[in-house]
Amino acid sequence: MSERPTPQELAEAIEEFLAGEILPTLDDHRLRFRLLVALNAVGIVRRELTKLPPEDDGERRELAARIRAGDVAAGTLARVKADVEARLRIASPHYLQRYGDE
Amino acid sequence: MIADMREALEAVLGSISEPVLLPGGASKEAWAVDAGGQRLLVRRAGGGVIHRHTLSLQDEFEVLRAAHEAGVMVPQPLLYIADLDGREAFVMERIAGETIGRRIVQRPELAAARTVLPRQLAEQLAAIHAIPQERVPFLRRADFERMMDELDDVGEPHPAIELGLWWLREHRPPPREPLVAHGDFRIGNVAVDEHGLVGVLDWEFAHLDDPARDLAFGLVRAWRFGRDDLRLGGIGEAGPYLERYNELTGFGVRPEELDYWELAGNVAWAIGCLTQAQRHLSGQERSVELAILGRLGAEVEYEICHLLEKRGVA
Repeated sequence: MSERPTPQELAEAIEEFLAGEILPTLDDHRLRFRLLVALNAVGIVRRELTKLPPEDDGERRELAARIRAGDVAAGTLARVKADVEARLRIASPHYLQRYGDE
Repeated sequence: MIADMREALEAVLGSISEPVLLPGGASKEAWAVDAGGQRLLVRRAGGGVIHRHTLSLQDEFEVLRAAHEAGVMVPQPLLYIADLDGREAFVMERIAGETIGRRIVQRPELAAARTVLPRQLAEQLAAIHAIPQERVPFLRRADFERMMDELDDVGEPHPAIELGLWWLREHRPPPREPLVAHGDFRIGNVAVDEHGLVGVLDWEFAHLDDPARDLAFGLVRAWRFGRDDLRLGGIGEAGPYLERYNELTGFGVRPEELDYWELAGNVAWAIGCLTQAQRHLSGQERSVELAILGRLGAEVEYEICHLLEKRGVA
């Protein structure tokens, strides 16, 4: 199973926000039209994403269970940190730069 | 909605200005209104959304009263209303002051305030920790294991959080007698003007806890608002804050305890990000802001790894 929210779930959240909270505030016809077009586009992205296979988190699940059981072998932190870094490169790529001189 | 609120409030407060709904979460509403020349803030329950482990508005109002009586700098609590247009609410003074963390940390006109804030925060926390427990008998003790239960409820594998929990289990300092704790004491939950602190806000997480844990929560990196080099909420070093707190309480909290509970604060917030995202995913409260926390929690997990490295974990 993929990390939550999945890409589809994120796209869905954006659609709900735009349609539910932004659209009702727009009086300008051109902006309303373009927002509806944008919503269509996000909908395409969401449906496209459903075709992707879910990420296999078996390894992550096994590692988490081992640590919970107190089995923390040397090198565990490096492995965990590399995994978090990989996730951050998707979720928040600029964040890693904040640790420049530490 | 505004007309209904105005009518309900006028039944209690008399003639009032037009109520303004302030931006915020759906679980609690905040209305700004003026009545009888007083600036008021009305906190009201949201539409059926109950957040686990937060106080009811009635209990939050009582905590605020207890804090006010104990001399803590808080908005004056004025009135609890069991039924305000169908939901519970309370009225308190609306204090003027900056509450947005990023502005408190970065605005040039608040530079002087930032120099006095660390000591002021310590003074407020010392006063909070001196609130008599019998005054707020409904407060519950924090339970360290709850963090694991919450993580298990989310059901996703997060090895970095597990590693943080493991280290915390292995290195627990001798527990201190639980005291009344604010539970969310950090930049972002205080009001500040150009002279310094004007109020401690957001009491919904109040509980009984090891005071060192409450003291360290404001060191968590997520609340430094762009000034990562200043460990105390982006406004100062931890040293003077700890020193002033110890001076006032005589508790002798050691820097290593702060380190321990800073890590614990990060672990708690990493789990908090996941549970917030769950509120969106479960349909309890649909919101992009909550949803994205599920992914931004990776930042907090990175900080957990960083802190573990500093403590010599390999």
